[in-house]
Amino acid sequence: MEDYSSGDDDDYVYSDRDSLDGLENEEWVPPKGSSTKVITRESLLAAQKEDLRRVMELLSLGEHHARTLLIHSRWDVEKLLAVLVEKGKPSLFSEAGVTVNEGADSSLPSSSSVMCDICMEEVSGDKATRMACGHCFCKDCWTEHFIVKINEGQSKRIRCMAHKCYAICDEAVVRNLVSKRHPDLAEKFDRFLLESYIEDNKMVKWCPSTPHCGNAIRVEEDEFCEVECTCGLQFCFSCLSETHSPCSCLMWELWIKKCRDESETVNWITVHTKPCPKCHKPVEKNGGCNLVSCICGQAFCWLCGGATGREHTWSSIAGHSCGRYVENGEQKTERAKRDLYRYMHYHNRYKAHTDSFKLESKLRETILEKVSISEERESRLRDFSWVTNGLYRLFRSRRVLSYSYPFAFYMFGEELFKDEMTMDERELKQLLFEDQQQQLEGNVEKLSKFLEEPFDQYPDDKVMDIRMQVINLSVITDNLCKKMYECIENDLLGCLQLGTHNIAPYKSKGIERASELSACWSNKSNTTDKYQPLECGTSGGTSENERPSGSGSSDDSGCFSRKRAKKDGFGPSFFDLNLPAEGIDRN
Amino acid sequence: MQASRARLFKEYKEVQREKTADPDIQLVCDDSNIFKWTALIKGPSETPFEGGVFQLAFAVPEQYPLQPPQVRFLTKIFHPNVHFKTGEICLDILKNAWSPAWTLQSVCRAIIALMAHPEPDSPLNCDSGNLLRSGDTRGYQSMARMYTRLAAMPKKVRSVELLQVWHGTTIQPSNMLS
Repeated sequence: MEDYSSGDDDDYVYSDRDSLDGLENEEWVPPKGSSTKVITRESLLAAQKEDLRRVMELLSLGEHHARTLLIHSRWDVEKLLAVLVEKGKPSLFSEAGVTVNEGADSSLPSSSSVMCDICMEEVSGDKATRMACGHCFCKDCWTEHFIVKINEGQSKRIRCMAHKCYAICDEAVVRNLVSKRHPDLAEKFDRFLLESYIEDNKMVKWCPSTPHCGNAIRVEEDEFCEVECTCGLQFCFSCLSETHSPCSCLMWELWIKKCRDESETVNWITVHTKPCPKCHKPVEKNGGCNLVSCICGQAFCWLCGGATGREHTWSSIAGHSCGRYVENGEQKTERAKRDLYRYMHYHNRYKAHTDSFKLESKLRETILEKVSISEERESRLRDFSWVTNGLYRLFRSRRVLSYSYPFAFYMFGEELFKDEMTMDERELKQLLFEDQQQQLEGNVEKLSKFLEEPFDQYPDDKVMDIRMQVINLSVITDNLCKKMYECIENDLLGCLQLGTHNIAPYKSKGIERASELSACWSNKSNTTDKYQPLECGTSGGTSENERPSGSGSSDDSGCFSRKRAKKDGFGPSFFDLNLPAEGIDRN
Repeated sequence: MQASRARLFKEYKEVQREKTADPDIQLVCDDSNIFKWTALIKGPSETPFEGGVFQLAFAVPEQYPLQPPQVRFLTKIFHPNVHFKTGEICLDILKNAWSPAWTLQSVCRAIIALMAHPEPDSPLNCDSGNLLRSGDTRGYQSMARMYTRLAAMPKKVRSVELLQVWHGTTIQPSNMLS
């Protein structure tokens, strides 16, 4: 909180503008280029200050109240404001458990004595604490309550002890009381509160690296994307598994489940647990009725695993009935054999491409060697970036190709979209897709072949010939990938009636790397300007003019060049991931 | 640990003092273990449990009263929110709606209230819940009454009343079999 006071002037300007413009206009255009950010332990506080401050200023609240509200609305400021407009302040506050007591003195005169309803002891006023909601209990009982709740992992919503009081306890009181007995637990409490920004926020997720790098990734706007953390791990932001586009997350989940050996643990988990429909953690039912609530707060029906309404009570599962028996007419046993062969077909091809991908990763080193040999030769050829670019294109397309098989398995299988398409429709679409897939496959193999040529031993004209081929094939495969994605997005997934299959869009230049969020928080009005010098500083003096593609690239120009300048700053990546295929052409 | 002991001791004294305050509830602490309690509660009037005396077993956790006690019926009872075999109770205040301000006594009161107002939409005993959900109040009441008489009434009363049940209009032996 103290940090804010230093930037008083800026704060004022900002709040002024914001409150004048109202709700529609407060959106600011994020700086173009990489909008994904890495949040480290150090920048975690800075990352949430923007949101906290907006809420604090709009509602003139203290930081802890703003945090309670934001935790309640899962750090979605827009949603919070929408609820505020729709339901009004009192209703929002009572739902979130915020009680603002204006000027009421929470301290009690030490002379008076208070009856604590928890330990049933009469205690003197200085040994008791009154919470903002008005309930007063002795400090020992409060402390015990906080300790139990923190240990239960409920730090983010410690409620008052009184019956039917849903007020969230003031975090300062919790911190103060707990730290007297367990300083380490108070620290844990603080960390939980801080990490709520990651845990409860659908736009921020922990990097799934093991061992954990300690970072979290924040995306803007689209949660269906693939990102790369500064630790180097690439993952699907939506489901946190490895990148799998053009498979949708559900397809990928089903696919790896299918591929994996069913161990005993997996068996136990499938028998005894159900995945929470929100956070997907396996939940074990430890008693009670069939309305189960996950530790993340989501309630769901144990019988069907579906999420139940938010307005449910323990007595009724709102808007929910799952007792209907859904008839499965077809004989599963008869289909089993056919299904197995079908699976094997797709799996073999998927596996083949994944294996080639692994082998080709080794190729990287040999190619580097070849390049350095070639560079030392007396030759008129100086620039060998086409090799590395071609190699990169190969990796990229190989990935797309290998994941296109599990995609096809589910797209044209009966498991997911049985009722979506007629048989004829499916056949037609499958032909269309497979045609594109084959074209891509053919060109990827050709590209692979040319890259493996021992060009360091060839005469110049032959090298030039290979160079032409590699560059051409790179452009072709890139375009084919794009076309395949278009086909998937528009013709296949786009026209689904029921499904919600989102895929991470094709990024010709590779998976986007998240940039580090500055730990020192800067005012939002000049964020855009601040990025520039920062990036130039780290880019090691590479000016854009040196880039072969710099000029007339038909690509999304402005944002593109900035993105590249930043990415260059990230040290030892040996090929230029960002060189557009169009640029290679003119090389 | 110490806090829970002290609090239970307070509750014990309170129970001793107000023994006659609530004639429907009789709370008894285990002689050797203050964390084990049993209670006898009377079935509320104008319900199929009327006239029955039901035994509850309390297992109090060390974190009490910050965590709720575990309560189950020792007496068999036909009720949507009580597990027919284990006696487990599905009641919000024994789970996430627990407040440390509750006492064992007030838990008993809540359970009596639950007996009078079953919540068939979150059933632990599906047969019982389905009877109520399908609107067969009569069927539910007669089943519940039968089990009350079978399990929650002294033997002598039970045999007399059972005869009334068998020969009365509520359940005909032929209905029972079909």
